[in-house]
Amino acid sequence: MSLSGEDMDNPPRRTSSKDSAIVDDEADVFEITDFTTASEWERFIARLEEILHEWKLVNHEPRPPAMKNQYANGTWAEKTEEVIFADFRFMFSYLYLTTTETSSQEISKSKREDQEEVDEEHKTPTVYLDIMNFDNDFPSRAHYLCRWYGLQEFFTLIPVSEKQVIDSESRAKLLLSSASVAFGNSNCSIPVFIQLQQKWRKLFTGTSLVRGGSIEFEMSHLKRLPPQYCHLAGLLDVFKSKLGCVYISMPTVSVAVRFTYKLQDWIESAWPQMPPDFSSFCDGEVGYGDIDFLPFGACTDPISELHLSCTWPCLSEDMIVENSMYSDLDPLQAPQWTVRLQMTEDPQCLLGVFLRDFLKLCERHESTDEVLKKVIGDGDAEKDKAASDISNALHKLTEPVPSLSSIPSISNVMSSASARIKFKPEDAPIPDSLLDKILYFLFPDAKIPRSSTDQKMNKNKQSSSTSTSSLSSPVSEHESDLGEVKANGEKMAELNAELAKQLKSAPVDSLTQRLGLALCKVNHSFGGLLGVAHLWQEFILEMRFRWENKHFLSDIEKGAPNMGSCLLHQKLQMLNCCIECKVKRESVGYGYGPDSVNIHDQSFDSSYDDRDSSARASKVASIVSSSDDDEEFFDADDDEVAKASAQGEKNSEGKTNKGAESGQTDMKGSTEPSEESQGRDSVVSADGQFQDSITHRPVGRLVPMKNVFLLATGEQLYIPVTQEPSPMTEDMLEEHAEVLAKLGTSAEGSQIRARMQSACLVSDMESFKAANPGCILEDFVRWYSPRDYVVDDDVEAEEEVEMEQEQQSAGSDTPATGERKGSVSSPAKRGRLSQRMQIPGNMWVEAWQSAKAVSARRQKRLFDDTKEAEKVLHYLASMKPAEVVLHLMPCVIHAAIIKLVEEAINTCVPNSKSMIDTLISRAAKVTRNFPLDKKKYAELLRLIELAETVTARTTSLRSKFTSDHLASPEQEGKEEEIESFVNNLLTQSEVAVKGGACGPAGAIIHKMFITAQKSNNMILDDEEQDGEGGAAPTPTPTILTLGEDRRNRRKNSNLSLPSPSSESKSTALSDFPAPCAREYILRAMVPRPAPYSKVLPQRMYCLLMESDNRIAGAFTSDTTFQ
Amino acid sequence: MASANDSKWQKDAADQNFDYMFKLLIIGNSSVGKTSFLFRYADDSFTSAFVSTVGIDFKVKTVFRQDKRVKLQIWDTAGQERYPTITTAYYRGAMGFLLMYDITNEESFNAVQDWCTQIKTYSWDNAQVVLVGNKCDLEDERVVSTERGKQLADQLGLEFFETSAKENINVKAVFERLVDIICDKMSESLDADPTLVNNTTKSTRLTENPNMNSSGCSC
Repeated sequence: MSLSGEDMDNPPRRTSSKDSAIVDDEADVFEITDFTTASEWERFIARLEEILHEWKLVNHEPRPPAMKNQYANGTWAEKTEEVIFADFRFMFSYLYLTTTETSSQEISKSKREDQEEVDEEHKTPTVYLDIMNFDNDFPSRAHYLCRWYGLQEFFTLIPVSEKQVIDSESRAKLLLSSASVAFGNSNCSIPVFIQLQQKWRKLFTGTSLVRGGSIEFEMSHLKRLPPQYCHLAGLLDVFKSKLGCVYISMPTVSVAVRFTYKLQDWIESAWPQMPPDFSSFCDGEVGYGDIDFLPFGACTDPISELHLSCTWPCLSEDMIVENSMYSDLDPLQAPQWTVRLQMTEDPQCLLGVFLRDFLKLCERHESTDEVLKKVIGDGDAEKDKAASDISNALHKLTEPVPSLSSIPSISNVMSSASARIKFKPEDAPIPDSLLDKILYFLFPDAKIPRSSTDQKMNKNKQSSSTSTSSLSSPVSEHESDLGEVKANGEKMAELNAELAKQLKSAPVDSLTQRLGLALCKVNHSFGGLLGVAHLWQEFILEMRFRWENKHFLSDIEKGAPNMGSCLLHQKLQMLNCCIECKVKRESVGYGYGPDSVNIHDQSFDSSYDDRDSSARASKVASIVSSSDDDEEFFDADDDEVAKASAQGEKNSEGKTNKGAESGQTDMKGSTEPSEESQGRDSVVSADGQFQDSITHRPVGRLVPMKNVFLLATGEQLYIPVTQEPSPMTEDMLEEHAEVLAKLGTSAEGSQIRARMQSACLVSDMESFKAANPGCILEDFVRWYSPRDYVVDDDVEAEEEVEMEQEQQSAGSDTPATGERKGSVSSPAKRGRLSQRMQIPGNMWVEAWQSAKAVSARRQKRLFDDTKEAEKVLHYLASMKPAEVVLHLMPCVIHAAIIKLVEEAINTCVPNSKSMIDTLISRAAKVTRNFPLDKKKYAELLRLIELAETVTARTTSLRSKFTSDHLASPEQEGKEEEIESFVNNLLTQSEVAVKGGACGPAGAIIHKMFITAQKSNNMILDDEEQDGEGGAAPTPTPTILTLGEDRRNRRKNSNLSLPSPSSESKSTALSDFPAPCAREYILRAMVPRPAPYSKVLPQRMYCLLMESDNRIAGAFTSDTTFQ
Repeated sequence: MASANDSKWQKDAADQNFDYMFKLLIIGNSSVGKTSFLFRYADDSFTSAFVSTVGIDFKVKTVFRQDKRVKLQIWDTAGQERYPTITTAYYRGAMGFLLMYDITNEESFNAVQDWCTQIKTYSWDNAQVVLVGNKCDLEDERVVSTERGKQLADQLGLEFFETSAKENINVKAVFERLVDIICDKMSESLDADPTLVNNTTKSTRLTENPNMNSSGCSC
């Protein structure tokens, strides 16, 4: 160890010279070398001890014996460290049952009381208690060492590398003795196991040092066991001989036995699910509504095997006999029956596969065009045509205003659109007829062929159908079909509402969701990526068509984009907003800017003759009526005014309609209420437009503000028609917010921000000025921000009274329609602007000064529908199929969850509530996340698939346990018990059968085995009953040989004991097959190694299977009296 | 928690380096004192009259909570009736709301219910809300009693504070409490989602919370 001495010397020298004196002293101390850790072996032992200290297992207190079934139900913990012995690396692990704090404390308390008498030396070690613990035989789930030896805590020492294997006895002994030394030094009585041979053999040798004794854990693992030991009698011999006490006073051995029978053939209840026919709807046999049908269920039976374990706990060796000739162990007589299920590893769930296929498209990088171009043959004439078509499309993009006359009807366009796609009919991934069906599915309103004259009518219908169809979701329809339990319907409705709120997707049965489902279907059944690209292109064409021809997108709710829905849905909503805006603009006859006025005048002349005339008619009518209106408002008493102003829109609608009966109703009926008022106003402004340049006549009035008069002139104050703020999708909003945020938090930044956002304020001011000639800022503020107009104190009290009255009378108080609360009620009211409005040079004053009197109609548009629509269309067109898929994923997931929930509720899956809740919260999290992450969606799909599998299992199991052939008089009234048994089977790994073979569930299982046995041995029911082969076909030689074969094999197999029932009916078949596994636990209290040694626990576990036999013994010997 | 770190609360607000970013929104009727309240908190200043907010404005403040830097991006909104159509669009991204009324103004108190409905409609349901009755220094002009405020808050299931931006009463407490509620909710609902922790993404993002929608066209 001189080397180490040098090593120690070196580092101190590197330290500063100040410390050198001390360092030298220390260096002397370091010269002492420690020889105890000289060899690998010693270092290994030292390391083990160190770990035991780390884990605080030195002088380990004995633990209380585990309670009943605690091994299976309690929680196990593991601590692991890596240790090295020479070049061998081991994982040294401590596995233990965690005891709950309270119980262990209680027990230790009671123990402490006991301990006052029992001194340290006489405490029973944990391992002794474990070995003899009868409460945890055959745990349903536990570590195999725990199962074999009944231990609640143990160490394992396992080679890390697969290549390094402890295969020689000397190595095993060396490790065992090293561990013994370490554990002995640490006074730790927990058993330690060393893995021998290959890992898969699970072969261990172990030891435990207890005060005054030691335990050897031995194991043998054999492919075949000599036949004389293949039964209880033989095993008892092995056990007794191992104990080495042949003396007469051998106490009886207690025995626990478990036989396990495997049921693999579900004869009477084959897997009920038929895979749905995917090709059905293209054949036209099933309606196109099937496009939104999601497949569900498993292709193969999700339950593959049923394992029945018959247990005889705690027998005495005297009580039962099992030898090569005879057996008392009849499964029907077993006191405990437990069942566990073996699930099919991958039952191929249809919904999961369907969705996963769709998500897979996200990995493709091709753009839509690239995908579609691949189909076209090179040098084909079609290609040139296609290219020109593309250029046409591009022209369309840049065309400022589409000419409408050239496109007569949507059906024409649909066919021409498909012609525009560069497919030869035979090349098209989606055949034309099918494509039409899908498009009709997506756009149900397109079904009615329409001409340009009745377009408006159709739109009217369409909007009403939209509202109804959105009410009746497919789910609710579907459910009424099933209509089993009404409560289920309520549950579904609740869940649907929850889903709609939680998920960032799109409403059920909206265009977006249908698109998602249609693409999913197309991907699955018609050409995968190519089909998706094809349909997407069609979709974009339709979008453009609708924009150009002012058809609203059906089944996309009106209004500003809903930030709670997915981005694609918002984009479609945006497009709808644009269309709405365009319709409004054009139906009124005037654009916001001079250019658009001209353009629309032209378009009116060319294609909207009838409408033009009607518009003119209405113009005349409402010029008259508008003045009437005004007077009415003035003269009417309070109540009437309130009513009139609240219903102002309705009034005006009625009037205009009266004025223009010819054809006007068609037009007006379809427009929105707000549009109505605008329509009326347009007329007013139209009136004013001519004289605008000469005198400032009021324009763009919406409604008079009740009892509020201009401060300067005393005229009635009018609320102007204002421009709506422009709708935004979330990406636009984010962009906008980002720009605002970038300006920083300084005062200047704030000011710039305010200026950037002042467009709306200025617009409103301009409208106000236009509507109220001679108005001042105070007037504007009284309407716009009433609290910024401070009324002088002397009139305040009086005003408050009136204010209250107003509040009561005012029906609605939105700026567009109603009166302002707290507004001054007489023209003479004196007041001033609030302090903040008087700040010199503030935003509001500035804006007021710069605002010109321009009515909303003639202002610059706040919302440029043309630009925004083109942006949306461009956005859609530039999406790759992969992006489309990803963007539609939330909608598809949404639909899938609805489907899943529906199925789960209908099949009454146990714990479905928590399963669904997790799914929903997970889906909410994933869908709200942006950017969309396909990995997260893949995880979500896995979760959906899991839930689907669980549902399929439930269906399968329930059908197995309730199929008709099992029904018998005894079963009546026991349905509930069977139901709960089935539910337990689905939720627990191992379930006890109540009443064993005699219980209702047991009887069913018994029958299942009988049927399976019969079919396995090819015995027909009649054959057995008749006994003669008259009607039944006589067994063919092949069957005979088969049967013989079987019997022979059984005899030869060391496993197959003739079961008792077959013994009695020699020729007849037994109810159960040969057990696939037999387990025995033999236990005894025997002095060892000498008759005068202490009486100590001994245990042997045996597992006999087809080609895997294991005997694991724990033999204790007294180390004091040997 | 914050009282122990008082000095740290004064850290440079413009600092871009932070662990979490919370987006908060102050809403309420016109002239209840939203802007003053925000200036008191972020700049510790008070002016009797701020220009009436146009659209939406914001301030930033970084606070410490359990040794984590939390950057608060506090958006101040215009209260005029014309504006909710514009400002509600921002609700979706907010993790917390300060719903403010003026204790000297009955109308602003009556509007609380409507504001609350707006929040429910336009924000994700895990957004946290605190009800704030401002201008409690103007005891002479008070028309909404503390009890009524409390009662309404209980009814709506919100935490409640009466504050004064002018006298600096409870201003910091409101924000601290809101941050606490958000943090609690977060640790409750997200089992420490790693994407929540922000160090690398650019600071101008409105929110780093995976539960919130952010956007940006991915093309």
